[in-house]
Amino acid sequence: MQTVTEPTTDAAALRAAITRCRIAVERHRCELTRLDEVLGDGDHGDNLVIGFRAAELHVGELPGDTRPGELLRTVGHRLVAAVGGASGPLYGTAFIEAGFAAGGATTIDGATSAAMLSAAAAGLARRGRCSVGDKTILDTLEPAMRAYVDAIDRGSSVGAAARAMLTAAAAGMRSTRPLVARRGLALRLGARSAGHLDPGAVSCFLLLRAIVGQ
Amino acid sequence: MIEVDLRAQIAALERESRQAFDEAQREADALFAQYQLSQLIASGGSPAELGAAVLVELTRLAAAARGALWLGAPDEPELRLIATTASIVIPTRHADLAAGRAWCAETPDCTGLVLGEEPPVTLLALWSTPDAPLDGEGLRIAQLSRHELVVAFRGARLRETLDRERTELSEIVEGATDLIMQVDADLRVVRLNAAGERLLDRSRADALGRTCAEVLSCREVVGHAEDACPFAAVIADGQPISYRETSIRGAGGLPVRVAGSYTRAAAEGSRGVRATSILRDISAQRALEELREGFVVTVSHELRTPLALVRGYAETLLHPKLSPPDQLRTIERILAVSERLTNLVNQILDVAYLNADPLVVERAPTSFGSLVAQLRGYLVLAGMDHRLINEAPADLPPLGVDAGRIGRVLENLVDNALKYAPPDSSVVIRAESVGDWLAVHVDDDGIGIPESERALVLEPFHRAWNVRESATPGTGLGLYICRRLIEAHGGQLRVEARPDGKPGTRVTFTLPFLRQRGTGASKAGEPLTGTIAHG
Repeated sequence: MQTVTEPTTDAAALRAAITRCRIAVERHRCELTRLDEVLGDGDHGDNLVIGFRAAELHVGELPGDTRPGELLRTVGHRLVAAVGGASGPLYGTAFIEAGFAAGGATTIDGATSAAMLSAAAAGLARRGRCSVGDKTILDTLEPAMRAYVDAIDRGSSVGAAARAMLTAAAAGMRSTRPLVARRGLALRLGARSAGHLDPGAVSCFLLLRAIVGQ
Repeated sequence: MIEVDLRAQIAALERESRQAFDEAQREADALFAQYQLSQLIASGGSPAELGAAVLVELTRLAAAARGALWLGAPDEPELRLIATTASIVIPTRHADLAAGRAWCAETPDCTGLVLGEEPPVTLLALWSTPDAPLDGEGLRIAQLSRHELVVAFRGARLRETLDRERTELSEIVEGATDLIMQVDADLRVVRLNAAGERLLDRSRADALGRTCAEVLSCREVVGHAEDACPFAAVIADGQPISYRETSIRGAGGLPVRVAGSYTRAAAEGSRGVRATSILRDISAQRALEELREGFVVTVSHELRTPLALVRGYAETLLHPKLSPPDQLRTIERILAVSERLTNLVNQILDVAYLNADPLVVERAPTSFGSLVAQLRGYLVLAGMDHRLINEAPADLPPLGVDAGRIGRVLENLVDNALKYAPPDSSVVIRAESVGDWLAVHVDDDGIGIPESERALVLEPFHRAWNVRESATPGTGLGLYICRRLIEAHGGQLRVEARPDGKPGTRVTFTLPFLRQRGTGASKAGEPLTGTIAHG
């Protein structure tokens, strides 16, 4: 559904997006860790900083002509390997699935990016055995993906679809506050987990915003 | 053909690689599920918290509609329900594992899984949804984590017991009325209870980390050297000290006498040797003992002196050549001395009476003038009446007091005044109405009472130092008895300097006027007014 004037995402743009992700988690490291201290084991910010620093470093070592799909899979594998907590395998799976969905394409258009986001959400849901409303990353990722895919399907530009995605992501993130956790370490807290934002839902919003470039 | 073959081969390879990939994904999914379950299991908490969290995870892993978890206690076969994922009507107890298993087998759609056969026995029940069976992969993961889960429940049970014991112990320590303090090998305070905070008037935060000598100020108060420190002694040789008295600095910087026991706990793990003491404030007890000892010494001294006199006079009487006038004089002396003895015994009885609870005062209408007149009558016998000057107004309203007791107070105070003043000096009684009260002053020209001792002389057995140094005999009970009797009437008694600045003492006490019940109550001929004797 891409128009001629629409900018496409190539490997270079993707490398810049990965750097923006690293900067975003570094900037919000304390906030994420603080949220995780309430609901989890208090290392979410630290873990993501470790993961994205390792991913950025690794991606930098890949040859300049490496295609977007492989870049994303590399990021995913580094996240799985470098991060100690559950967020590593979960985000890692999302990046790996997105990478597979990108295939061997050199540039990514609207339809491909919609398929990538959709694969990422499905992979994360499968690995985490979670669904929307469980107070997890998916509460941000799933509605964001839906908004993006719907917009692309309706023929919106990538930019407009991305804006719709971020709006839905923010709403999804906020929706985790009243929820009682049904997955992860926050399960221990039972009803006491209500009233706090889920750190994964927050980091997911931050990463989507960084990828879009806002 | 070759092209077709190649295509078929490529397709087969792709299928294979896809299969391998899916296989790897499933393996990764299972690993991640196991990892998440392990994280939950390792997260601790009470058996109920752990059970609730783990049950949600297991129910989800097995794709079950709902689940329940029963846990056994150590040393008993019974299992108790600790968690359910939904409010379902199920037994809260099973008599034993076999009964629980049987119940699961009889219940429709329910699968019973024994996670632990060893204590704590753990039984998981999962209900399948109507449209799908339980997820085999999920059940496999649950089975894999079985051992881990049982160990975690054992740990949770242990933590629960430890927590309860720690709470109970700290309640005992905190609730104790004795100071409980623990020091490490360097004699630094590592624990101090609430009673200790009160006794030392120092917060725990302030005490922790300081040396025991700093916190107790025992060196300053008793001046003991470091080698005499009981904490250092038990730490050094491990021999408990079952009783040792010492002094420490308490609230307000005043020394407090304490009795304590000291024990040593051996080093354990990373923790070094510790010494614990339980100190009881015995200053009140000690003061009482000192008082009793003082009382016994005073009373025996006071009794022995007149007894020795009586004996001396009696021996004199035995002398065959004693003239009748001398005999008479000697007998008179015996009488005087026995009078003193009687007074002393009466005072001791008075103190016993004052300590009775409740103190009964028989109030009757009494005129102050009559009390003074009665006192003057006694003084006439002793030849002292000329020294008493009564300046109290004659027209005072009647008092509502126990005349016998107040008579004793007045007699005691005037006696005291005469005793400690130079011979032939005067004792003046003054009185004035202050509202519902009559304030009475007894002024003398005696040696006076030092200001620092004025409050103390009103306590039992206390005699001011200048009196103790004088040769005048006394028990230290008189003023105390007077104060208590006045207070029993609701009044007050205090010792002051003379307002005119002359040496001597003024004792002031207040007495209640008789309460007038209406105006007609004081009519002539009525029993109340009829009994008032005017002096």
